[in-house]
Amino acid sequence: MDFERFVFYVFAIILIYAAGRVITVRNPVHAALHLVLAFFTCAGLWLLLEAEFLAITLVLVYVGAVMVLFLFVVMMLDINTSPLREGFIRYLPVGLVVASLMLLEMFLVVGARNFGAQSVAIPERHGADYSNTRELGNVLYTDYVYPFEIAAVILLVAIVAAIALTMRKRPETRYQDPSRQVSVQPEDRIRIVKMPAEREQS
Amino acid sequence: MEKIYLAIPLAPLFGALVAGLFGRQIGRAGAHWVTILGVGISFVLSLVVFKHMVIDGAEPFNGSVYTWLVSDGVRFEIGFLVDRLTTLMLLVVSFVSLMVHIYTIGYMHEDPGYQRFFSYIALFTFSMLMLVMSNNFLQLFFGWEAVGLVSYLLIGFWYKRPSAIYANLKAFLVNRVGDFGFLLGIAAIYMAFNSMDYMTVFAAAPSHAGETIEVIPGVEWQLMSVICILLFIGAMGKSAQVPLHVWLPDSMEGPTPISALIHAATMVTAGIFMVARMSPLFELSVTALSVVLVIGAITALFMGFLGVVQNDIKRVVAYSTLSQLGYMTVALGASAYAAGIFHLMTHAFFKALLFLAAGSVIIAMHHDQDIRNMGGLKKYMPITYWTSLIGSLALIGFPGFAGFFSKDAIIEATHASQIPGSTFAYIAVLSSVFVTALYSFRMFFLVFHGKERMDEHTREHLHETPPVVTVPLIMLAIPSVLAGYVIGPVLFGDYFGGAIHVDHARDVLAHLGEHFTGAGGFILHGITGLPFILAMAGLATAWYIYIKNPDIATTVRRRFKGIYQVLVNKYYADDFNEAVFAGGARGVGQLLWKIGDVLIIDGLIVNGSARVVGWVASVVRHVQSGYLYHYAFSMIIGLLLLLSWFMVYQNGS
Amino acid sequence: MNTIQVAEFGLLLPEIFVLVMTCVVLVVDLYLTERNRDVTYVLSLLTLAGAALLTLGNYPSGTTVAMYGTFVHDPMGGLLKLFIYVVTAGVFIYSRSYLRDRGLYKGEYYVLGLFAMLGMMVLVSAHSFLTIYLGLELLSLSLYAMVAFDRDSPTASEAAMKYFVLGALASGMLLYGISMLYGATGSLDIGEVGAAVAGSEDRSIILIFALCFVVAGLAFKLGAVPFHMWIPDVYHGAPTSVTLFIGSAPKIAAFAMLMRLLAESMGGLQPDWQGMLAILAVLSLAVGNIIAIAQTNLKRMLAYSTISHMGFLLLGVLAGTPEGYSAAMFYAVTYALMAIGAFGMIILLSRSGFEAERLDDFRGLNNRSPWFAFIMLILMFSMAGVPPTVGFYAKLSVLEAVVAIDMVWIALVAVFFSIIGAFYYIRVVKLMYFDESESDEPINVGMDMRLAISANGVVVLALGLFPGALLSLCAAAFP
Repeated sequence: MDFERFVFYVFAIILIYAAGRVITVRNPVHAALHLVLAFFTCAGLWLLLEAEFLAITLVLVYVGAVMVLFLFVVMMLDINTSPLREGFIRYLPVGLVVASLMLLEMFLVVGARNFGAQSVAIPERHGADYSNTRELGNVLYTDYVYPFEIAAVILLVAIVAAIALTMRKRPETRYQDPSRQVSVQPEDRIRIVKMPAEREQS
Repeated sequence: MEKIYLAIPLAPLFGALVAGLFGRQIGRAGAHWVTILGVGISFVLSLVVFKHMVIDGAEPFNGSVYTWLVSDGVRFEIGFLVDRLTTLMLLVVSFVSLMVHIYTIGYMHEDPGYQRFFSYIALFTFSMLMLVMSNNFLQLFFGWEAVGLVSYLLIGFWYKRPSAIYANLKAFLVNRVGDFGFLLGIAAIYMAFNSMDYMTVFAAAPSHAGETIEVIPGVEWQLMSVICILLFIGAMGKSAQVPLHVWLPDSMEGPTPISALIHAATMVTAGIFMVARMSPLFELSVTALSVVLVIGAITALFMGFLGVVQNDIKRVVAYSTLSQLGYMTVALGASAYAAGIFHLMTHAFFKALLFLAAGSVIIAMHHDQDIRNMGGLKKYMPITYWTSLIGSLALIGFPGFAGFFSKDAIIEATHASQIPGSTFAYIAVLSSVFVTALYSFRMFFLVFHGKERMDEHTREHLHETPPVVTVPLIMLAIPSVLAGYVIGPVLFGDYFGGAIHVDHARDVLAHLGEHFTGAGGFILHGITGLPFILAMAGLATAWYIYIKNPDIATTVRRRFKGIYQVLVNKYYADDFNEAVFAGGARGVGQLLWKIGDVLIIDGLIVNGSARVVGWVASVVRHVQSGYLYHYAFSMIIGLLLLLSWFMVYQNGS
Repeated sequence: MNTIQVAEFGLLLPEIFVLVMTCVVLVVDLYLTERNRDVTYVLSLLTLAGAALLTLGNYPSGTTVAMYGTFVHDPMGGLLKLFIYVVTAGVFIYSRSYLRDRGLYKGEYYVLGLFAMLGMMVLVSAHSFLTIYLGLELLSLSLYAMVAFDRDSPTASEAAMKYFVLGALASGMLLYGISMLYGATGSLDIGEVGAAVAGSEDRSIILIFALCFVVAGLAFKLGAVPFHMWIPDVYHGAPTSVTLFIGSAPKIAAFAMLMRLLAESMGGLQPDWQGMLAILAVLSLAVGNIIAIAQTNLKRMLAYSTISHMGFLLLGVLAGTPEGYSAAMFYAVTYALMAIGAFGMIILLSRSGFEAERLDDFRGLNNRSPWFAFIMLILMFSMAGVPPTVGFYAKLSVLEAVVAIDMVWIALVAVFFSIIGAFYYIRVVKLMYFDESESDEPINVGMDMRLAISANGVVVLALGLFPGALLSLCAAAFP
């Protein structure tokens, strides 16, 4: 077993463990932290595949930005997890049957027979001067320029949708509006009401 | 030219739409102007087409204007076939229609439904023009139904009268019988030829001449006979041949211009036109021709008898129309298509004239239509009198008038025909000449001569009708006299060319043509012939009975009470239909309703299935629980089933 | 290295134009007050008109693949895009008064609508699995947001949530199928995959496996049973102006997706997916038509009716012949026209604080407005397939296509269930014409809406009288 293979197995075992913990731990903060671990090991595996750029992006974007944000949300919201597990036992048997059937069928197809190592050519090794960031950029702006642009539009839609759905003027929130304060007129503030001193005799 | 062909039917359609949809906005004058203009354009363009086709001798036009849809390789199109037969029909239809439009201004001027009426008759003109210009069976059928529809609407124009509603219902039902046959005929053609186009069908017809079909297993029928007889059943409905004639006399409930336009000059002749158009098919079946001949002969004679006992002025004319339609049908049966169409044309003129004259009398009599209340109108209404005289003379076939040429030609053609039934037909049409003269002049004398039998009040107001009424009368009187003189080219010349196809062995007109020396000679021959003597005898009888010795009529009536009863009751045809068909249908309907509808359909199928469906629906509804995981689970189950099914299926196969 | 020619961008001009204009609308709307919102509305309609002009100006006569094989310019795409513009324009016009009455008249509705439409356009002319997926996501994401647009309505939020979760599940299935296909053929390009699938001797089990997942994803988008559960809840929960949108234009896009994925890339597996679609179609026809009868809410009833109509659409596709494809295309576009009309009628009758979505709200409509009752009559007859409306021809041509491949049994099943289905459409007509109305509130909507919905009804009738032109256009898309 050469060193590379050893590293692979170490990362793979940690990844599987971390992923398993994400869905089994009760505490959401722990789950999120396990997810961070899973991302890290995954990045390590990608490095082995010479996908340096993607590996770094994974760490930067998912670990650095997304997961931190997620942890904030989880900590601030204090989610009660017990109701989510209601009915878990009730549906477990039928769920298990369906899942195992599905699994069986998938094994039939996605087995070594169809996707084994011999059915795919071994990828070419590149030297140290090879920049896969550059290659990625190349295909991204040629072969995949159209999907790339559409993906950008999808992100724009996500922003628009998020803002449209969450931002609102709350009438109960009090804030100062200087322009209104400056342009205020006396009539806006007081109303002079004239009343007869006594009720008229009918 | 194609634009002109298109404009001919569309101009009246435009008028109809404007008058119908915007009648209130454009007012009464607007309604009649726009429709008259539309029909006028049609008439002028028809003249242009006539010049183009007949005088310049252009080739027939056959082309499609719009493809409605293509199904299974068969094209359903709107197209025009314009040849000399069409040209003649165009002229007749647009001219008579124009006259009727003008006349209507006077006849309907007090009616609240003025705009509606103009819209309908312009719509009718459109439909009729589409019918005669059609180049395929589908469009023919649409035109056929469209004229039927407008006829239905117009018979019931005064929809507040129960009798009008009864009459239009009757016309509708009787025509359904004919149309059913017609539709079956078209379906048979479609089945046999797989095409709706005239030319394709005509070209393919001779090769199908010997074929037989089995409608009832074990009984073989000639394909062509079946097709032609089915088509002719359609013609019988529309052209009111015995036994589908019962609707036409009742249709007189409609306003008089309608009786003139639709129920005398144009629509009822659609059947005649159709058979003439289908001559290449009918020529392939002697059986069908015999049927046509015999039916026509029966109609010509027996409907004439009924005219003698009628007292309603319009009904007399209506029965005479039936009888004349019988003549045309006889001509078709005898393979003298040209003579049939020729009579159609002359008849359109003089019968429209007679109807409009009758209408003129009705206006003067303040809408009293009973001829027993008339008499001596000659001195009050000179123009109506003289034009009526011309019309009547043309009708009885007085030598020199239009009707003489066409009717004599038919009689001679029948005489020359050799197919089974021709002897009977000859005797029938010959006898009918006497009857025609008798009822025509009976009416003429009772209306215009003799004692003035109307009441004081009516008499004081009697006067000639206004020019919008009399001008069309005069205009129609002219062709009623002159239209016959084209007999030479139309019958014996080559006027129709390829439009009408006649088998050589039965070409009776060619046979007659060998002896034809010109219109003058034809008149001379006519004066010495049997038909003329019979017509004069009829005229004399009418004069004797109704002018000279009026008492004799009552004597005769009493002496022959039995026959009189039969005639007054119209051979009990209506009672028969009422009792057997209507009653029988009601009985069967009642039975089917009780067993089929109430018990099986309502009880078992409709309510039963509705109950089952309702039950299933209420159960399945619960699956739609609203829980997200139920939905997701159902999707996964669905996917699993799909997967399993195809994995197993794939491995198994 | 190959480069993109400038001319290739010319083919994408409608998409580029819509994107640019959508951004313009987004920015312009920021500077508008509630009162001037009509500017957004008019700009959106102008965008549609401009896109239509651009599409017409470069109407495809043949098939051109551009952008490194990710985009295709063909007659099917051109025609479908045109119909998408028309239907979207109808949606915008119908929604205006509805949104204004409920305080929802915001620029985001139009921006999201335009983005969704862009997604459909991408989907319609996609030539790569990647483009299909991205187009689908662009469309779906916009729709999720639109469903939740009425933030104060709990039912709308619930519907959006369901739609989102189930949609994600379906997208996952679709992606999984696509990845299988990629594994089996080594390409994402529809043309190359098509050639590879057609070339493979034995229809390998991977392909079948992939096919099942793809069909499941498609069936969700169309709303075919058993992937239909979201439809009634989302249609019912969403604001009517959004239901109107979801129920119409995306069906055209879904048809395009069906064609691109099944007919073009997996044409070689036609015998296999024919069987799958047959099962889905029969289930959809049965479930859709039967459950619709039990509904008292018109939006829900129309939701189930959508399910049954999608069953019919599948019939045309499963025939696997050019006639079948063109019949299904005819069905898709005419169904979209009927659907916006029917939902538009609900909007027409509803007013501030009152949703005319119960069947009973249509009682006696004839007394209140004979014209609109007549329009509704045409729409209902068309959905039921009564001649001479266009729905009749749509059903007829689809049935002809199935009969032509000797699947008479399925045609009989379809006819049987559409007869059952006719019941609930005609019940609406009965309510309108023979029952007494519950309110005599006059119908008070803008002229643009009146004209649009009248035109909508008239077009449904006119296409039924003269279906020839559209039928031949659809046939021309599949030579």
